[in-house]
Amino acid sequence: MEAATLEIRNLTKAYPGVLALDAFSATFEGGNVYALLGKNGSGKSTFVKCLSGAVTPTSGEILLDGLPVTFKGPAEANAAGIAVVYQELSLILDFTVAENIMLGRFATGGPGNIKIDWKQTNAAAEKILKSLTIAIPVTRKVSELSVGQRQVIEIAKAMSLNPRVLLLDEPTSALARHEINSLMEVVRTLRAQGVIVIFITHKLNEIRGVADYVTVLRDSRHVGSVPIGVATPKVIVDMMFGETILQSRPDDLKVGDQVSLKVSGLTRRDKFEDINFEVRAGEIVGIAGMLGAGRSELLRGIFGADRIDSGSVTINGVKVDKPTIPLMKTLGLAMTMENRKEEGLIQIMSIEDNLCLASLNEISHRGLISRYLQAPVAEKWIRQLHIKVSDPSNEVQSLSGGNQQKVVVGNWLNTDPKVVFFDEPTRGIDIVAKQQIFQIMWDLSRKGLSVVFVSSELEELLEVCHRILIMEAGRIIGEVPSPETVGIEDLYAICMGENA
Amino acid sequence: MSTLATRRPSFRLSDFVLEFILLAIVLLLAFTAPGFASWDNFMNILRSAATTGVIAFGMTFVIILGEIDLSVGSAVAFFGCLLALITESLGNAGFSVELAIALGVVVCLAAAICAGTFTGWIRHRLAVPTFITTLAWMAAFRGGAYLLTGSFPITPYPEWFFFFGAGFIAGIPFQAVVFLIVFVVTWFISKYTVFGKSVYAIGGNAESARLSGINVARVRMAVMAMTSVFAVMAGIMVSSQIQAGNPTVGVSWEFTVISACVIGGVSLMGGRGRIWGTFVGVLFLEIILNGMTLLNIDEYWQYVARALLILGAVLIYQLQAVSRAAR
Repeated sequence: MEAATLEIRNLTKAYPGVLALDAFSATFEGGNVYALLGKNGSGKSTFVKCLSGAVTPTSGEILLDGLPVTFKGPAEANAAGIAVVYQELSLILDFTVAENIMLGRFATGGPGNIKIDWKQTNAAAEKILKSLTIAIPVTRKVSELSVGQRQVIEIAKAMSLNPRVLLLDEPTSALARHEINSLMEVVRTLRAQGVIVIFITHKLNEIRGVADYVTVLRDSRHVGSVPIGVATPKVIVDMMFGETILQSRPDDLKVGDQVSLKVSGLTRRDKFEDINFEVRAGEIVGIAGMLGAGRSELLRGIFGADRIDSGSVTINGVKVDKPTIPLMKTLGLAMTMENRKEEGLIQIMSIEDNLCLASLNEISHRGLISRYLQAPVAEKWIRQLHIKVSDPSNEVQSLSGGNQQKVVVGNWLNTDPKVVFFDEPTRGIDIVAKQQIFQIMWDLSRKGLSVVFVSSELEELLEVCHRILIMEAGRIIGEVPSPETVGIEDLYAICMGENA
Repeated sequence: MSTLATRRPSFRLSDFVLEFILLAIVLLLAFTAPGFASWDNFMNILRSAATTGVIAFGMTFVIILGEIDLSVGSAVAFFGCLLALITESLGNAGFSVELAIALGVVVCLAAAICAGTFTGWIRHRLAVPTFITTLAWMAAFRGGAYLLTGSFPITPYPEWFFFFGAGFIAGIPFQAVVFLIVFVVTWFISKYTVFGKSVYAIGGNAESARLSGINVARVRMAVMAMTSVFAVMAGIMVSSQIQAGNPTVGVSWEFTVISACVIGGVSLMGGRGRIWGTFVGVLFLEIILNGMTLLNIDEYWQYVARALLILGAVLIYQLQAVSRAAR
């Protein structure tokens, strides 16, 4: 197959008030693997969406093998030769490998024949797998495959369309190390066939062996593409961050002597192992790490949302071996969940009800909810947390992401906690709301409460925390005792598994 | 006092479409159906609404919770038969009939609570859908009713037992009183208690509710048990009416009950619904039936009317939801 060329000229996507992609221009050559890097919100996913036909660019051109192409939807992008494999798998688990790959294009005896010709269908699927040097039986059910094998089948399915360009959106985030290796084998095979592979990832060490170029996006712009040979971590991090000015934490936040939370030897098999740390009164501890490092799982384990296998949690002097949510709540632990829509809020309930979900006992007397107790509580948090609300009896889903997040926070502050966990509280919210969330954390610290803050945005952790723990593959691998003295580049390099 | 404490959702006429339609039908029937607009007839409507009505209030909680209970009709037959059998057996063993009935009621309530709790428990522990479990109960209760009675009605009841089906309190049928009391109590629970709020929360998003520290298992068991208890109450009233434990009663009542909830705006997706809506839904079905009887319309037309009602009500709710979303 002849090597493909993908040329992109001034590709721009504007949303009301936001320029998500700003005059992106670049040329991608077939037979190469491009690692696409950039912070959250740098425009990576918009770029992918424009190429996949999921959104229509505001302006700019996409030229495939010299010919301009435009898409009205993913089907047209596929037909033009661009295929995307997303993080979330789209396979039907109860179908076989062949059924999944050939879905919608089953072979029949001929036109007008409705009976599926399984021999031919399976053979066609097998041919595709063979061309990618994948050794998985096509009659195996997908539910019997490992996550890594499923990812490989997903790629095979995309490749069955014979695309010229294949975009992989963080394909390794859910994979174990040995699975990543076999995935990389498939990527190398594709490269040898002249396909353009654009590989979106956060993990630098993974792409070392496979990528030819590193392409970096920052603030919606294409910063540049450099050959992997010269892409040292320093070069990459400089390209990703540019000149960053870090806000600094207010200096009146005092860490007390009293240990309010102590975690000893906490283990949940395959999620996190032998975790030990302490948090003191008034202290804000950050937990950094890449996606899948086990940060959320750890917090959920401590909070009692998921079972733990061994170890203990001591909160305000009370040792707990088997945390449950009602127990931890009584002991003064609160947690705002990572996915506020699915886990933090009840979307179809009112704002005031959502503000009292975790504290129904505080607004009631012998099981009867009192409007006279509930209304002032709701009003208090709406005012203190600056929640923009026209009517507290409106459904919470009518609020913006930032305001929804504040409702989640209010719901938990209402339980009068001593230790508060924030799991990715700033995801998908605007910069003003972010600052307000930080302000809330600092206020909690001033009141002597302890805060544990998990975020994928390292600069946030540097800005907010007294101390940062670093997790990788379910373990705490390091600690940054005083974030003031550490640069974002260093922290990023540690988290990505390379030493700068 | 704060301004928020007194603020109420603004009153919108469009929220009362069903009530207006019902009112229009009542007015229409008052002028066309002979004997419709009389105290006795209204009491009659309330009385015949009672048996399916009390169950419908329980079912409202079940559906808001995001579950379903298909067993209620068979449960009415089963517990009616169980009560009759116990009364008869204990009577034969020399117990006074009053004591026999009292013991029978206690046994029925205990059995119903156990059955409902079990349904809620395996829903929670093993994620067995309540649709499946209560489908099994539906068959088991119906079969049990026939087995207990040998498929013939058991008639052990004294004269005074007739009161629960046909008696009056201050001129109001006893059944109507039960219906209204259960309405008020369940309305209060749904609106003003931690338990009621928890039901809405779990139906709206069970995971968020769990992560907020709400005891999801306990609520699920309690709601399923509560509905079974209402089925026992309906069973007693029916037994009293017919003065017997009869295995053939309550056939397809689950659909009448679910229809009443749906007409009243309870969402089968869970999380939304009001006891008031179900009250209106129950009355709607009963008034249509009553009016058709008075107008000498073939009773089978009631099924057509019910079909139109269900579809019409759901269409109205969907249109309202769409227009709200568009605003």
